[in-house]
Amino acid sequence: MKKLQQRVQSLLINSFALPSDVILELPRITVIGQIHVYIENHQGLATYSDTELKLKINKGYIQIKGKSFVLKMMLPEEILLEGTITDIKFLPE
Amino acid sequence: MRQVQGAFITGYVTILIKGKHPELFFQQCTRNGITVWDIRKIAEDSCEGNIKLSDVKKTRKLIRRTHFKLSFVKKKGYPFFYKRFMNKKPLLIALLLSFILAIFLSNILWKIEITGVPKEIEEKIEKQLDTYGIHRGTWIFSLDSPNTIQQKLVEDVPELLWVGVDQKGTTYYLEGVEKVIVKEAEKNQPRNLIATKKGVIKRMYVAKGLPMVQVNDYVEPGDLLVSGEIGASEDSEEEDEDDKEESRVDYVAAEGEITGQTWYEVKVTIPLEYDYEELTGNKEKKYFIKVGDFQLPIWGFGNPSFENVHYESTENPINLLKWELPLSIVDTVISEKIYQKGKRTKEEAIQAGIEQARSDLLLELGPEAKILSEKVLHESNERGKVKLNLYLTVEENIASVQPISQGD
Repeated sequence: MKKLQQRVQSLLINSFALPSDVILELPRITVIGQIHVYIENHQGLATYSDTELKLKINKGYIQIKGKSFVLKMMLPEEILLEGTITDIKFLPE
Repeated sequence: MRQVQGAFITGYVTILIKGKHPELFFQQCTRNGITVWDIRKIAEDSCEGNIKLSDVKKTRKLIRRTHFKLSFVKKKGYPFFYKRFMNKKPLLIALLLSFILAIFLSNILWKIEITGVPKEIEEKIEKQLDTYGIHRGTWIFSLDSPNTIQQKLVEDVPELLWVGVDQKGTTYYLEGVEKVIVKEAEKNQPRNLIATKKGVIKRMYVAKGLPMVQVNDYVEPGDLLVSGEIGASEDSEEEDEDDKEESRVDYVAAEGEITGQTWYEVKVTIPLEYDYEELTGNKEKKYFIKVGDFQLPIWGFGNPSFENVHYESTENPINLLKWELPLSIVDTVISEKIYQKGKRTKEEAIQAGIEQARSDLLLELGPEAKILSEKVLHESNERGKVKLNLYLTVEENIASVQPISQGD
């Protein structure tokens, strides 16, 4: 059953050109230079500090590291981070 | 960022959350529909963020169910500003007072400007306005409308033909037109026109009255030319036949122009030798500053070595803006002149004599006279002088006014 669902999903993405983040419930990360990161479709804040932001996603976490972080805006499934970003990492669960 | 826009107007507060993992509280807030922005982690156990003023209640409710501690750090936005401002009573009162004062002052008449009429009428208008209560320092709204003032003024000041009243802000502009009271031309008294000189009538133009002479008639001084009595002669005959009523005579002021040909005999003496002055063309310029009667030379010193000189001065007053200063600059042209002696023949002398006689006579008779011809009656040559007797024929107006006395 699960295999069928996966096959339908990939079929939708390939043949109808639907955006993959919507179908697969994956986060969409927009990075503007080193100063802004915009994350949509996350599933919650895990940790936040001046130098690190960890967000829960579908499978695992996104870890963003840098300096002088400020959460410019926080909405239920969106976050705008401002600061000096050094790395963006995907961590397994 | 759309959610944050306008937060300044509605007001927002900065809250400080203390506890373990304070950022998780903000996470909770967003889940409950509270917009949070500018979240900053200050320390391990404290976190700062902005929420809208309208969300404060919800946040408070939310915090009660958690172990976090909430404190307000900053209050920003218009509602707080307004509150703070309202707390400053003296400032508020001063503002209110100045506002009232401004309104008060702008409702007072500050100036009345009257243009277009002479000074004395201006004063009259001012006095009249004063009786209406229009003077400096009155309330504008207590005054009548400009239209009414206009009407009243024209009625009350007889010298005014029209006055325009215009209110511009705190100033009244009045523009008057003076009535030029023309005294009705004095009704002409009955009069005749009589001749002043002897002569032959050349042209007649009678506007009013009964002409008593005709063209080519010879008249002596005092002769009646145009009569002011109308209907005297014609009617009398008819009325003789009637009940011998007294003839009805209309008296008018005779008016007209009677051009007659007159004659003059003029004697002139012309010398054959004469002196005259001539400028040689050598000249020097001098400039002076004149204060009162004192002249201070500023350019051109020393006197030129001319034997005979002709002075020509022009004075230019000095103006400062629109005022004339008591100073003036005088520039003087000094020209050299020499005296010449001229000689003329007898014919030239006669010609000059005629010219002189003509111009003298015209000067005496006025510009309307016209010299028709001249004739030399007699000429004699004595001691270097030519004596002439001239006879001139002139055309001129010979009529003059003579009032008719009506015996009453």
